[in-house]
Amino acid sequence: MADYLVGIDVGGTFTDFVSYNSETRAVDVWKILSTPHDPNEGILGGLGRFDAPSDIRNIRLGTTVATNAILERKGARVAYVTTEGFRDIPFIQRGNRRSHYDITWIKPKPLVKRRHCYEVNERIMSDGTVHVPLDEDGVRAIARAIREDGSIEAVALNFLFSYVTPDHERRAKEILEEELPDIPVSISYDVLPKWKEYERASTTIADAYVKPVVNRQVANLRERFKESGVTDQAVVIKSNGGEMTLEAAQRTPIQMTVSGPTGGVIAGKHVAKLSGISHLVTLDMGGTSTDTSTIVGGQENFTTDYEVEFGVPIQIPMIDIRTIGAGGGSIAWIDKGGMLRVGPESAGANPGPACYGSGGERPAVTDANLLLGRINPENFLGGEMALDMAAAEKAIASVAGPLGRTVEETALAIVQIANNNMVGALRSVLIERGLDPRDFALLAFGGAGPLHAADLMNDAGIPSGVIPNYPGQFSAFGFILTDARVDVQRTVQMTSKRFDQARASEVMNALIETGIAELKAQGYVKNIEIYRSLEMRYLGQNYELEIPVAFDSFTDETTPKVWQAFHDMHLARFGFNIPREVIEVITVKATVVSLTEKPDLATIGKAEGGPEPVATRSVVFDDGRHDTPIYDRAGLRDGHAITGPAVIEEPVSVTVLRPGQPMKVDQYGNLLIGRIAEES
Amino acid sequence: MTQKHDVDMVAMSIIDSTMTAVCREMGIVLMKTSYSTIFNEALDFTCALASPQGEMIAQAEYCPSMIGGVPLLVRSCVKEIPLDTLEPGDVICHNDPYRGGLHCPEHTLIKPVFVDDELMGFAMTIGHLQEIGGMVPGAFAGEATEIFHEGIRVPPVKIKSRGEDVEEVWKLLLANVRTPRYNYGDLRALIAGVDVGERGLAKLIRKYGKEQFRRNVLDLMDYSESRMRAEIGAIADGVYRFQDQVEDDGIESKPYDIKVAVHIQGDEVVIDYSGTSPQALGPINATLGVSYSAAYNGILQVTDETIPKNSGCFRPIRVVSPPGTLLNVDYPGPEVGGNTETHCKIAGAVIGALSPAIPDRTMAAEGATHTNFVFGGTDEESGEAFVCYAIELSGWGGRSFADGNDATDSINGNCRVVPVEVFETRFPFRTESYILVQDSGGAGLNRGGLSTQRTLKSLDTEIMGSQMSDRHRNRPWGLHGGQPGGLAGTWHQQANSTSWHMIDEAFGKASPSKWSNVRIRPGDSIRFQTPGGGGWGDPRERPREQVIEDVAEGYISADSARENYGLDGAAEAAE
Repeated sequence: MADYLVGIDVGGTFTDFVSYNSETRAVDVWKILSTPHDPNEGILGGLGRFDAPSDIRNIRLGTTVATNAILERKGARVAYVTTEGFRDIPFIQRGNRRSHYDITWIKPKPLVKRRHCYEVNERIMSDGTVHVPLDEDGVRAIARAIREDGSIEAVALNFLFSYVTPDHERRAKEILEEELPDIPVSISYDVLPKWKEYERASTTIADAYVKPVVNRQVANLRERFKESGVTDQAVVIKSNGGEMTLEAAQRTPIQMTVSGPTGGVIAGKHVAKLSGISHLVTLDMGGTSTDTSTIVGGQENFTTDYEVEFGVPIQIPMIDIRTIGAGGGSIAWIDKGGMLRVGPESAGANPGPACYGSGGERPAVTDANLLLGRINPENFLGGEMALDMAAAEKAIASVAGPLGRTVEETALAIVQIANNNMVGALRSVLIERGLDPRDFALLAFGGAGPLHAADLMNDAGIPSGVIPNYPGQFSAFGFILTDARVDVQRTVQMTSKRFDQARASEVMNALIETGIAELKAQGYVKNIEIYRSLEMRYLGQNYELEIPVAFDSFTDETTPKVWQAFHDMHLARFGFNIPREVIEVITVKATVVSLTEKPDLATIGKAEGGPEPVATRSVVFDDGRHDTPIYDRAGLRDGHAITGPAVIEEPVSVTVLRPGQPMKVDQYGNLLIGRIAEES
Repeated sequence: MTQKHDVDMVAMSIIDSTMTAVCREMGIVLMKTSYSTIFNEALDFTCALASPQGEMIAQAEYCPSMIGGVPLLVRSCVKEIPLDTLEPGDVICHNDPYRGGLHCPEHTLIKPVFVDDELMGFAMTIGHLQEIGGMVPGAFAGEATEIFHEGIRVPPVKIKSRGEDVEEVWKLLLANVRTPRYNYGDLRALIAGVDVGERGLAKLIRKYGKEQFRRNVLDLMDYSESRMRAEIGAIADGVYRFQDQVEDDGIESKPYDIKVAVHIQGDEVVIDYSGTSPQALGPINATLGVSYSAAYNGILQVTDETIPKNSGCFRPIRVVSPPGTLLNVDYPGPEVGGNTETHCKIAGAVIGALSPAIPDRTMAAEGATHTNFVFGGTDEESGEAFVCYAIELSGWGGRSFADGNDATDSINGNCRVVPVEVFETRFPFRTESYILVQDSGGAGLNRGGLSTQRTLKSLDTEIMGSQMSDRHRNRPWGLHGGQPGGLAGTWHQQANSTSWHMIDEAFGKASPSKWSNVRIRPGDSIRFQTPGGGGWGDPRERPREQVIEDVAEGYISADSARENYGLDGAAEAAE
């Protein structure tokens, strides 16, 4: 009997599938159109490819159900319960606006109605002392009001300073669950035990808001898996790139807000490991947007600083992925002053770029790439869609005229401007952390990533590039490589001047135990790895740097090393440090990972003889037109080397090499570009 | 519009977006490393790049009040420190309002950018230091009558020379403030910001070459100018007048008029402040830099926001501001409030003036105050002095197409309010409540935004507090038949008492909104209410279902629904 591991990435346009057969070590990829009215239909439809559903051992799922519920405002009716005097926090927010000079801006509304906000008489102070004990009768009265209202589907509970002392939140939750057994209750201490009451309120409300929606969908999925005889060994990918069981997903749905894009980073981490690359910046360029992230020293980077839209923060632990609105569908236009601009408006999938021939008349980046000869009109999506060159030319001519340039010059300018927008995104993930692009390799995927990788390496000063296998389904590929992962943290407030080593050690160990217990409850008990860190800053600053800690207990010997590590990182990140300054420790963090079994990826055969081009085409580069050999990626083998100009085609993507740029194929079939090709 | 074919519109687009990205990177370093909450939570700072001639060539959007001041600032600095004496690694520090600055708390750090020993431009950071010495902790002395009361003045001096700290300057700066450790950290952050800007700009220039860079930057400013001219040209020619007031100056109980005549003449605009009151005794005066900045701000708010922000935008805008007036103060008049309280009223008046011509781009009055509350004391445990500058949010005005935003910063700032949990961790107050004020939004077809009210109780430390605010007597104006927004107020309650008193009555002050050094004892409470936004259009034309929804949500009372909106019957049911 075959034994499959399946990764599924449910996106807006396509649902991608990757399967790994652990007997034959064969990887298979496919995609079908998504079914937004019922995402589960697409999932089940794609699994129809298996003759015997029982052959599937494990399914790992990336999904946008939580995010979509928020963006489309189709979540549950939530009641918000908070400290007396503070029910308006979700409405007041922080008071800044998206753009300075736009008085037409409309402030976002929270995911809760003001008339569904309730206050409880209780108060905890910043040092954790109780100023006003919890009014339990008051909580019961709120429960009655919610019951009488009859329309409330979920409750979000957020008390001031609960990140210091969660007792009131926990007790209030108990009471509400007692009184309202059918209504789920989210508490801020579970969702985001960190300071800043608006950000915590927003995140907790969002958790409650998506909970009933996610519950319905996950329950439905489990039911349909059962009906169709598919395994119940299914997990969901969290925003931190770890997996969690479907039950856990129903309990803390907000954890899956940024589920899908994490797959590309996880897969990138795996490719980096196999290829011996330490520092990687990932670029996932699709039709409407591009995601970037970094892997430094073999590890992905994490953040809790995220807004699902301007002013609506959702601060859960997640892989630090930055998204910009630039992709193959980004539209080029002439602004009022005659300047050529690209994006953020996108042609999307429908009508799509002009060359799709579906009625799009405005020029998109894909049209420009087609005109420059970089895309083969006969071999787009594996030849399933013929591209309309004349339509692309007409669309680009519409902006070339006012610009006073030829169509070809304009097409090149469109690609250059789109590239510059993406270089900005690459710089933002690197420079903000004080990372030097020269130490990195660019891993490009998504339908359009390989097409732009060579130019981006050049423009961003990144010396090496990697185009992995299955660039069009790379996120789903990442899902067959995930581990189970729990991030736990707790705000403490101590300074280097008065650092309680015993307490810090105790908090750290308690967190690790919590993480281990949480994984154990989901059935993950093997291959446990633990990562510890402290978030700290100079006393007076407001943003922390995360300093990894490699030991179990803080002692007179180990503690000074932590302070020194902070001074060093501050210098590296910001260009200065203040050596004698007091350091404030804000958060103790622990991450517990249960490593899962990884697919043993097959290698491709060794090259015998040089690679043979399948055609030659005229392609435009920055320095002009070149007769360019075209290669079929399927025909490339381990050790094949090509020097640009060259174009390498595969069903869902195209890799372009600039004139003079070297490329070499590695044993897994990855395309290594630039310095890494010369060194390998 | 005619297209100049010798202009490289592609390279220009790339250079513009790269310079803007550099300015944003400067801002991120500032936010992450600075010490004062007004910096790192409120984001009261700006990052810009300038040409050697002092023209602003790029900026990142942090605090709008500052950008109009950039050209004047650079020119003032290089007047006193000649260009040919600048060397790589120098950093100039400056805060003097009488040398192009906006008000004393705002410190400008300028670093020359050299490429192959040639001066190619400047990287600049401007940030509000919350403590600068002077008569009150936190600089906003509501009762100051000379600039010397407002804190230390720093003419352009090198704080770093060829990459090394100039120790004498640091000593002088830090000896004159109450919180030297904080000021040290904030100045270090500002310097780290210009370092990032210098590296980023130099790298960009090396990539494109000096000649192309210079040409493109000139083209870029011409481009912004032509866009701005097109915007102004689309407004019907005419003279549009408006006026507002600052209700008092903290010293005497009388209002000061701000008069604005906006002359639209083809593709140029002249903003004339003639008729404005003579300068005040108290600290509400605006320097010329503030008056320019406010005029620019008003015009930028009603024109296309995608125009690249550089000195080119300002070329078609002229400002007439007679000296010795509220809007062009003569030395040594006090002016710390001009930048926060007067700026937004000038910009608001420009917007109000243009409302008949371009109604869909304008709005009724926003609160137009930052409700600045500054205080200081001594931390009992460490013995270290602390100072805080706290701002509050007010209501925005109604618009032709939407209600005013509730609880939003005034248009001359884009500050975030400091979270209660951060505030209480840092300072010895307990926040008793923080709420939206019902009925504070001016009634209208589209109502004004709601204001906020915060109540603080002092814990165990004696606090010295001061305020610089406005709109405690004059309500924010409505437009096109909308009603004015609600008034602001500050109240005090003694420990163990239950009665609240207006602060001016409780402490015998001339002004309810501008006062200095009130002693807040342990157990005392203080309450700040901000103004609501003005309404737009006749409230009786507001759709009934919206009025009912506002009552159900508690934004307006059933009484107001009946009296101001003319809602019959349904009001009580909705409540």
